[in-house]
Amino acid sequence: MAEKDPHNDLSDVSSSSDEEEWLDADREEDDEQETVAVISLLDDRVFPDALSMIAHCKDKYGLDFLGVRDRLQLDFYGTIKLINYIRQRVHEGATVSETDITTETLEDDRYLKPVLDDDALILCLDDLPEPKGAADAALSMMGDAIALPVGGGIGSGESALATEAPGVDTLLQKNAELQAELEQLSKQFGNYRLAVQQTLDQRWQADDVADDASPAAAGKDGTVAAGEVKKDDSEYYFESYAHNDIHEVMLKDAVRTNAYRDFIYENKHLFAGKVVLDIGCGTGILSMFCARAGAKQVIAVDNSDILNKARENIFNNGLSDVITCVKGKIEEVILPVKKVDIIVSEWMGYCLLYEAMLPSILYARDRYLEPETGLLVPSHASIWIAPLSDSDYVSDHITYWRDVYGFDFKAMQDGIYADTRPQIMPASAICGTPSAFRFLDLHTVTVEDLVFEAKWQSTLSDNVEALDGFIVWFDMFFATSRSDKTIEPTVTAQEWAASSPDHISFTTGPFGTETHWKQGVLLLDRTKVKEFETAPGKKIAGEITYATADNHARGLTLKVAWGSEEQEKQVQTWKLH
Amino acid sequence: MNAIVQNKHLFKDKVVLDVGCGTAILSMFAVKAGAKHVIGVDMSTIILKAREIVKVNGMEDKITLIQGKMEEIELPFPKVDIIISEWMGYFLLYESMLDTVLYARDKYLVKDGLIFPDKATIFVAGIEDGDYKDEKIGFWDNVYGFNYSPLKETALSEPLVDTVEIKAVVTDPTSVLTLDLHTCTTADLAFSCPFDLTVRRDDFIHALVAWFDIDFTACHKPVRFSTGPHTKYTHWKQTVFYLKDVLTVQQGENVECSLHNRPNEKNKRDLDIKIEYRLETDDPTRQAGGQCLYKMC
Repeated sequence: MAEKDPHNDLSDVSSSSDEEEWLDADREEDDEQETVAVISLLDDRVFPDALSMIAHCKDKYGLDFLGVRDRLQLDFYGTIKLINYIRQRVHEGATVSETDITTETLEDDRYLKPVLDDDALILCLDDLPEPKGAADAALSMMGDAIALPVGGGIGSGESALATEAPGVDTLLQKNAELQAELEQLSKQFGNYRLAVQQTLDQRWQADDVADDASPAAAGKDGTVAAGEVKKDDSEYYFESYAHNDIHEVMLKDAVRTNAYRDFIYENKHLFAGKVVLDIGCGTGILSMFCARAGAKQVIAVDNSDILNKARENIFNNGLSDVITCVKGKIEEVILPVKKVDIIVSEWMGYCLLYEAMLPSILYARDRYLEPETGLLVPSHASIWIAPLSDSDYVSDHITYWRDVYGFDFKAMQDGIYADTRPQIMPASAICGTPSAFRFLDLHTVTVEDLVFEAKWQSTLSDNVEALDGFIVWFDMFFATSRSDKTIEPTVTAQEWAASSPDHISFTTGPFGTETHWKQGVLLLDRTKVKEFETAPGKKIAGEITYATADNHARGLTLKVAWGSEEQEKQVQTWKLH
Repeated sequence: MNAIVQNKHLFKDKVVLDVGCGTAILSMFAVKAGAKHVIGVDMSTIILKAREIVKVNGMEDKITLIQGKMEEIELPFPKVDIIISEWMGYFLLYESMLDTVLYARDKYLVKDGLIFPDKATIFVAGIEDGDYKDEKIGFWDNVYGFNYSPLKETALSEPLVDTVEIKAVVTDPTSVLTLDLHTCTTADLAFSCPFDLTVRRDDFIHALVAWFDIDFTACHKPVRFSTGPHTKYTHWKQTVFYLKDVLTVQQGENVECSLHNRPNEKNKRDLDIKIEYRLETDDPTRQAGGQCLYKMC
């Protein structure tokens, strides 16, 4: 966010939510030098200014935009409604005919909501020529006002005055009406203005800005504001999600995306008419699934710049009227609703809890989810561990360094045992029964539960060779109700899915289709731990500990203890960051 | 490796500078080839590992390892006889250390000193890549039933580093840049080159592929390796530039192209690349032309 010119900085900040273009529209007056791209009302063409676009629509399609505006005597807001009405019609593939457009068609306040994000036409409304019949209109307005019955909400003193001086009275009355209208419009956007203000304050982390309650004033001096930006220590985390590649990997992970899609599309009754919150929406795919499934409103939140692409995607798919994009951290943004019926999110990291996104989901659950009836999608998770034996893997990744083109490279082995290695392992690498050591009911789990020590145990398989380490993975479950009791803590995703055609779940383990989460491989440090004596059918057991990494907020530290009746317990720790 | 160990006569008793030495593998090759002394320079903390490796291989008195920027450090020798470096990046120039090598050359290399390698050439050819283009680019047209075209534009503008099969190549390759490391300057890294691609068979062109060859001309028997689709895999793979259009081409036709490359103004390790293409044929339905902008970052 640094090193931008003030205007860009401003528009960047204010792109936080759909409605904020309104503030932009106000500020745009200060900045008419900017080059604009006005998208045609009726086709895809782009024009450098509004007038040439309007001329194009008149010449090619016979739509006289200014004519309609003048005929209906539309004011600033009315003109905005007119634009959005036409854009909405075009977007729906409906025809637009001048004669259909009346004051009544434009009455609906939903047309105040921009159909196009950053609609350049709306932003440069002030550049359009004054209405031709401005003077006539003013006269006829006065005529209307005279015809109105006097009194109503206006005080008796004034009505007495009115009888004496009708001209002044009608003007006062008109003024009062306009003020009431203005107040109503201000109210309509009050929430959003508040959200903008808070976002700006947080962005700039400037207490002095907070004293000056006007976001526009705060934004005037973009350079100062930019200088005050403090890098969030996890900003890199959000930036890492700003590029295509990572989203391509996630979307093409069909195990992942299909599970969400199937759950949402096969349970439309759960989504119909509901308010849904999508946390970490990325490109917007889950939000669009929910919208297609009939959700009344979807709020898509992401703190990465990918949100700009999500907005475009959502618009291109005609879902902007259902899905509202909000940029920011879920802990900091202000949502346009108090409660939501469903929270959908794809928050899982390597070994389930790497990236530490789950606390944000739990925060949103406690703050926004309907406490009795609200549903989390997905709803349950279990984490698994199994002993690992894979001599090929060990020779490819560890023994290799002993002789590199004739040189001793063992120095490169340092730390090779210290990290959890995300790797796809073949099922044949597992040398004992898997053990489910942690089960999370996401409706009730707390942040404190995410740091834990749990017991695990395994029976070594018949063809076991040396114990080389452990593999950790997780299963995800999508229950249709928060009171589901069929998901037992030790059921595998495959077993649960097989028990009913309605059950949607997936595994990231070595017995399922590979996913972008791979598995977490924990290799035993041969230089430090004693070899574990293996034998078919032998029991191995111990504990596994999940902790946050000391110097890495989104990292994870895993500690595994293992032993048997005959062999004393040994312990090793792995980090993941 | 061969260039060094097969040319002991060139390395014997020489002072060698290894630019961006990494784990010091090239430095150790140079010692084995008889160098009097090798200075390995790297900015990364990998140098700590390199020191351990050099020590366990008993070469610590022959190799001096320095952590730092070439532009800022001081070498224990005022001049060196040979510079060795593995500076090449994807598309040869992306994130490459060539500017550092050239700086070292100008400051430390004796007159008539040797550079390993000393020649680099970028080649371009047209490829048929319909399936993969569908998978990488067309994917965004329909993502689980949704239109994702905003991400398609981004995908088109990002050259793809991947392996291309030789059978996908539809045209003769042509070189667009040759660098002689003894004479070139950093200004040569921004270049424009018009070129023609001669079509070898009736097919479609979905993309251009680029790769590079590296020459060690100082060797007694010149050593060369290529990172092209016709030879064995290297970690550089090839770089694929998808075109907006699909060109329908016939054997013997020429596609007129030009390639413009320059380091990004803000981040000079990123590259801004422009490719223009024009297919002139008598068949108006196959006429095509356009330009694409790419950013490697």
